[in-house]
Formats: sequence, C-alpha cells, structure tokens
Amino acid sequence: MEVVSISNLSKIFNTGKDNEVEALREIDLTVTKGEFIALIGPSGCGKSTMLRLIGGLIPITSGELSVNGKTPTKAREERDYGMAFQSAGLLEWRTARKNIELPLELMGWSKAERIKRANEMLELVQLGEFARSRPAELSGGMQQRVAIGRALSFNPALLLMDEPFGALDEMTREHMQDQLLDICHKTESTVIFVTHSIPEAVFLSTRVVVMSPRPGQISSIVETNLRAGDNTADNTKIRNDERFYKKVTEVREALYGK
Amino acid sequence: MGKKLFLLLNKAAVRRILIFIAFLVLLALAYTAYKAFGQALDDRQRDWWFIGSFFPRTDDRNMPPILDILSEFGKSPRIGGETYISQLFSGALFTLREAFVAFVVGSIVGLVLAVLLAQSKLAERGVMPWVIVSQTIPLIAITPLVVLWGQANLDFLPWEWKTWMSVSVIASYLTFFPVAVNGVRGLLSPSSEHLELMQSYGASRVSILWKIRFPASLPFLFTAFKLAATAAVVGAIVGEISTGVSGGQGLGKLIFEFARTYAAAPERLYLGVIGAGITGLFAFGLIVLVEKTILNSTGQQIRE
Ligand SMILES: Nc1ncnc2c1ncn2[C@@H]1O[C@H](COP(=O)(O)OP(=O)(O)O)[C@@H](O)[C@H]1O
Ligand SMILES: [Mg+2]
Repeated sequence: MEVVSISNLSKIFNTGKDNEVEALREIDLTVTKGEFIALIGPSGCGKSTMLRLIGGLIPITSGELSVNGKTPTKAREERDYGMAFQSAGLLEWRTARKNIELPLELMGWSKAERIKRANEMLELVQLGEFARSRPAELSGGMQQRVAIGRALSFNPALLLMDEPFGALDEMTREHMQDQLLDICHKTESTVIFVTHSIPEAVFLSTRVVVMSPRPGQISSIVETNLRAGDNTADNTKIRNDERFYKKVTEVREALYGK
Repeated sequence: MGKKLFLLLNKAAVRRILIFIAFLVLLALAYTAYKAFGQALDDRQRDWWFIGSFFPRTDDRNMPPILDILSEFGKSPRIGGETYISQLFSGALFTLREAFVAFVVGSIVGLVLAVLLAQSKLAERGVMPWVIVSQTIPLIAITPLVVLWGQANLDFLPWEWKTWMSVSVIASYLTFFPVAVNGVRGLLSPSSEHLELMQSYGASRVSILWKIRFPASLPFLFTAFKLAATAAVVGAIVGEISTGVSGGQGLGKLIFEFARTYAAAPERLYLGVIGAGITGLFAFGLIVLVEKTILNSTGQQIRE
C-alpha cells in the first residue's frame, strides 16, 4: 500500500523575486506502508523542505504529491502525521505526560483515554517514572524520547522526523535508534527520517534516499533493509555485520561520488 | 498553603527585603546628613566655604527632620480628629480599589488588543501606531473628557456611575499599554517549530492561541502586570486630583489637601509621598506574589 507518492515534484521559494531559491527539482519517490526511509544529503539540499512539503506545512510549486491517496492538507486535517524535529520542541510549561497528551487533546480524546495512552507511550520510551517531570528537568535524550512518544501517541499513518537525534551524543544516539526501531516495529509505523549520519541512515532504514546539492534532486536510492523483515534481529550484531559496512560504503559513494 | 507561602519567602526573598530596609535606612541617613550640612551653610559659613555656594541651603521648612515627619503620621487635623495615618490608610484602600478596577479593565483591553495585534500583520500595522499615540497624550488631557462622559446619560448601565469609576477609566489608560505591548511579544514568542508542530496536528488558530501562544506569553504578561499595577496606582492618584477631589476620599485628595496646607505643616507633604510609595509598592508586591505562585506551578521562568 502506498503511503506517500511523489512524482515530478519541484519546490521554488519566493518565485519571481530577487531571493528566488530552487529547493527541489523533479523528485520522484514512492513510500509503501511499513517502510523506513532515511533521507540523506548535504546541508541545504532540501531535506527539511521535502518533509515540510509531505507534511503539508508549505505548498508545492509543481508536480504531484499525495499521502494515503489524499492531498497533504487533507491528510494533515485527518491527523495522518506524527512529527519530530532536531530540538525536541516540548512545551516547557507542560509535564512529560502533558506534552504527550497535547495532540490527543487537539483530537478530542477524553481525559481518561489521554492519560492512559500517555502513560503507555511513556512506558514505551522508558520514561514511566518521569510522567510528572517538566522538560527542564529532563536530559536532551529524555526530552527527545518524550517528543517521539508524542509523535507516536495517536498512531499516525506517517512519521516525519527531521534529524531528531542530531543534538544527541553518540551513545544516547545509538540507544535512541534501537528504541525508535523497536517502537516503529511494534506500531508498524511508516517513517521518513532525515539525518546527517550515514551509519544512522543505513542502520535504521529499509531504503536510503541520497540527495544531491541544490537544487535538491534524488541522486540515488540505496536498498539497505539489513533486517530483511526480521524485527527480532540483534542490533549489535547488525552494527558489526559486514553488510552494514558495505552499505555504509555504498551510501558514502552515492553521496560524494566515486 | 502555609508551606507555599513559606517557600515564597525563601532565603533570596528575605535577603531582598533586608537589602531594601538597609537602603531605606541609608536614605534616611543621607537625608539627615545633607540636612545638617545644608543647615550649617548659613551666611557666615557661606563665605568661609566656597563650596557652600554650590549647594542649596536648607532649613526645617523644606527638609523637615525625619522624626517630625514620622510623628506627623500620628497627628490629626483637629484635636480628637482622625489621625493622618488612619486617613492615609483609608485613602490608600479607596485608591487601591480604583487602581484594581483600572488594572482589571486595562489588562482585559490590553489582552484583547494583544490578541488582535498578534493575529495579523494588517492589524498590527493599523492599530499599533494608535496604541503608541495614545501614550503620548498626557493623562490630564483626557481626564476632562472622561469626566464629561461620566456626566453623560449613562442610564443604560445597570449600575450608577460614580466619580471613582471615571478615575478608574483614566487610570486604565495607563495600564492597558504595557499589557498590550508585552502581550504581543509573548503571543509571538513561540518558535516556528512549535507552530509547525501544531499545524501538523491540524490544530486551529484558536487552539494554537489557547494551547501555545497564551501559555507561552504568561511570563511576558506578568512583566506587564507589574508595570500595570504601579501605573494603575499612579493613574488613580492623578485621576483623583484631576477629576476634582471634592467627592473623592482617596490618596489623591489627601495629597491635594496636604499640598494646599503645606505652609502650616511641610512635614505633611512627605506623608503623601510615603503613602503613595507604599501603596504602589504594595500593588507591585501583590503581583510579584501571584507571579511567583503561578509561574512556579507552570514551571516557567520569571522574566526580569
Ligand atoms: N521558507 C523558506 N524561504 C526561502 N528559502 C527557503 C525556505 N526554507 C528553505 N529554504 C531554502 O531551501 C533550501 C533547502 O533548505 P532545507 O530544506 O532546510 O535544507 P536541508 O534541510 O537539506 O539542510 C535552502 O537553500 C534554504 O535556504
Ligand atoms: Mg534541515
């Protein structure tokens, strides 16, 4: 089943003005349910722009883009998206649990349902005992986990993540990667994940989409799928596996050219 | 509750109060010292100390001894009449009521304006200049107007219009401004990330306002409320004096009376100054207390 379908998509900012920027050119991409797409490319090549287009936060310039067979705006109204950014973006005046409840409040869930689900999400991201903590009392990694719990809380059809682990140290980062995969498998989420890190892209994804510098174009797509559908695969093993290094090399070559 | 209050009076707060008192004592000492110096500058010494010609001379009339000022509080205009301190106290209560109404009215107007201004560029460009212009008009220029309107036919109101209400309207003219300006800043303070997140949930403008913009602006609003509270007291006193104090019983009337009879007792002028100062400080302190309680409970930082 196609979750995202993009064809011949282009995005130009400030058309016709002095500061016109061609951010994306002729993008074709199809994402099916359950896929984990990693989006990688040099800074400024339009990765965030792509996510925001898919998320219906900005209008497309030309081409076609549909999410679950709908326009992004419609999909947004029907709450198809979970989003997470580089900074956790938690509301400082809300406790961890209340932050997770935010989208549920907007969607009209009852208080009891909200609390139940928020507690489940906190367990899922292993922050059960921090329900009443405010963001300022949590470490960067913990905040990011809350943000992921928030993004997943309403079972969105599509998870859009823009360098969500970019600000974390390497150890926390790997831990978060393991957790994210685990959660995504449990919830059968479809994910588009922007990252700067080649190993991260390879480790997490089923496919890595490599983009070229401005105007952003897809220069190649690398099939990774190191788990080959086996969600119980040992993460440490995968990180040490030869296939992992091979794919890392493959993506690196696609990114920098041979 | 008792525990909460105790938390508010933590070490830092106690130290602040002690520093405040220390400065008060220092001020009194400086006053007394200058008074002694200025009084010593009689004509003879003026010749001896050329520096004397740079400093104004002083006497008991324009700088009454501090003890005289303090004892004036306990005196009364007539034998057996109401003491000045008791007059000041009831005057302060009367003025505080006007200031409170002015604070509430001004804050509501300010908030409504802030929401309006924060909603669109057009509203901001159209209305903000008028908000600023309003503050360049001196308070006494608008008081006659408000008094006139107060004498107009206000029968449609379910309550009888009193002079003190006109005073509140005048004072609210000072209070809405900081609330409007800081409110706009607060409402526009959420990051684009927060706003995009809300958009991605398909949130309406109203829920973005209610769930993001308004809570984010709380620290900004309290900064404004602190300004508005003191402005409300000043506005009420000025309003009382300029609406004609005949009917009033507030601090403004007392200040006016003290000024009228200063020849007989210059000490009394200081009673008005001290009374107004304490009243303003009280209003300010009340907001600080509410600010601490609320921002503690929401986990937000107090803006300096
Ligand atoms: N709102 C905008 N207005 C104008 N130009 C923009 C806007 N957003 C992004 N751009 C431009 O589009 C290009 C791609 O940006 P972005 O998608 O943020 O890159 P990436 O996330 O890959 O680093 C950049 O040149 C950026 O300056
Ligand atoms: Mg980016």
